[in-house]
Amino acid sequence: MRPALAIFAAAVLGQWLVPLFGVWQHERVIARGVPLKIRCAAPDPYDPFRGRHLAVRPEESRVPKPAGMPDKGTAPVWATLVAGDDGLSRIESLSLEPVTGPHVIRLVAKWQDRNDDGEMVFVEWPFDRLYLNERLALGADKLVAERFRESQNMVAEIRLLEGRAVLTDVLIDGVSIREVVKQRAE
Amino acid sequence: MSLHHHRWLAEQLPAWEQEGIVTADGARRLREQYAAEPRGGLAQMIVGAVGALLIGTGLIALLASNWDDFPRWVRLLLALGPLAATQGVSWWVLGKGEAAKRWQQEAAALVQTLAVGAAMAIVSQIYNLPGTWADLVFWWCVVSVPLAWVLRSQAVAIAYLIGVTVWTVAESADRSSWSAAVDVADVRLWFPLLLAGVLPLWPGPELRDRPAPGSRLVVAASTLVGLLAVAAYASDRPREPDEAFFWLAMLSAAAVLLFPLDRNGIAETLARKPQVLLGGLALVIMALVATYEYPARELVESVGFALPLGWCWLLLVVVSGFAVIACWQGRYAVLAVAALVVFPLLAAPLSSDTSSGWPVAIAYSLVLLATAIVLIVLEFLGRQGAARIGAALITLLVILRMADADMSLFVKGLAFIVIGLCFLGFNIFISRRRLALPAGTLE
Repeated sequence: MRPALAIFAAAVLGQWLVPLFGVWQHERVIARGVPLKIRCAAPDPYDPFRGRHLAVRPEESRVPKPAGMPDKGTAPVWATLVAGDDGLSRIESLSLEPVTGPHVIRLVAKWQDRNDDGEMVFVEWPFDRLYLNERLALGADKLVAERFRESQNMVAEIRLLEGRAVLTDVLIDGVSIREVVKQRAE
Repeated sequence: MSLHHHRWLAEQLPAWEQEGIVTADGARRLREQYAAEPRGGLAQMIVGAVGALLIGTGLIALLASNWDDFPRWVRLLLALGPLAATQGVSWWVLGKGEAAKRWQQEAAALVQTLAVGAAMAIVSQIYNLPGTWADLVFWWCVVSVPLAWVLRSQAVAIAYLIGVTVWTVAESADRSSWSAAVDVADVRLWFPLLLAGVLPLWPGPELRDRPAPGSRLVVAASTLVGLLAVAAYASDRPREPDEAFFWLAMLSAAAVLLFPLDRNGIAETLARKPQVLLGGLALVIMALVATYEYPARELVESVGFALPLGWCWLLLVVVSGFAVIACWQGRYAVLAVAALVVFPLLAAPLSSDTSSGWPVAIAYSLVLLATAIVLIVLEFLGRQGAARIGAALITLLVILRMADADMSLFVKGLAFIVIGLCFLGFNIFISRRRLALPAGTLE
């Protein structure tokens, strides 16, 4: 085999491995992960869609600073989630050391400020967007803005496995946003 | 002898061989001695690239329509199918070997590169992955650059260089922000490694291939911007003042300016040496900024902050090595400009935290003036100089000093007219002098 063909074969292998590794990782979470629901804050009512995706921001974004958190920069943290009576999961505890369990999610904490409850950190969730078809997204801005003004009840559906989360859907008043947008489009 | 003359020689050789003016062996040796770039490279690259871009954009648009109606496995198939198809086309082009046309190689490599990016982006969309676009760019570049090597694709090499530079800037900016990301890559290690990714294409395994003039600009600009981003990254230290950037940036520009060239490269005009133009321009601009009090003090202080950094010492070793080679090759004009980086190092031990920046600023003005004079004198001595650039530098210095001088607008106006006339007169004189000289003696 010519060296050029060998290099090309290696490149082709790499070009398949990178996306397929991502597919394998996320398919595994979707197939075997624990389903959870997390309440989201309403996105900017005037601009809920950023191009082709809906901005998704869990409501619980400021939590008490875990012990040992550095004053500057960021740190990975492990949050244990617990489901309430309403079926929505919330952060029960935050640890700088890795924690295992079916309801543990890996987040990124950024030191933010202090208030009456003490020092707080801003936590970054491993999902921040839900992609929709551009054809649907174009007309969805107004609709989503209207629905938010009416109910403010937005929930992210995720699957969680070994600290890794995959966002599977966003519900408004219990109905998938895809369905809501499609119904309006029809 | 410039590459223009090399090309002329290459065009004449077949006829000379036929007429018996030179032997076949003599012609071969002349071709080796005075290598010329093949003609039409840029046109073929553009044709291939435009075709590839149209196909790639069309593919992406086709996939985007009716997206939500497909189940996940169909979407994955649509993302990865074009990748497989483009890989098949590239394999076919590669199999043709030397018979493959330049545009075929360019088009195959570029379409496959676009298909790789599209596949990665679509997988990100299918799983709603959060926004780390820099990671996507990194992996896209890493898995695509071999196509530039095996298909000799300049378009993919250019896209790769732009990609790795953008990634380096993004990582450096991430580290500098107050909310620095957790997994910021160490670009002091990664940028040189990624930059070396074009070595199998330029200069290639036989060390003979050079980028086309248009591509050289991208190589030089990417290297300079990337090195500046690395300088910013290296300057940023937790709980320490990050004021080392100024001098590190000057060292980075000097490294680009002094990059070693072979005999043919030295003989080329300045327009075909963008690394000299961009590196020199960046260095001169920074030196001009340092002719003011506050920036001058910042620059001298930055030497003290930079010297404890390993990246600074690496740059010093590289710049010193390049300077020795440039001195040995007699590239005194670039050495004169690169010497601007030495002045802050010499001034640092003489200044204290409380001292005014004016002595350094005035001294830097004089150093710049000396540099400009050297550039002019070198040309008059028959060496590679840059008289016009030297004159422009003097003019700029005078204008800057006049602009902040305490004089009436009338006097300033008169002075500007006189300076302008002198500058134009000097340029006319240099043009006439160059016409009277044999070609190829000036930079």
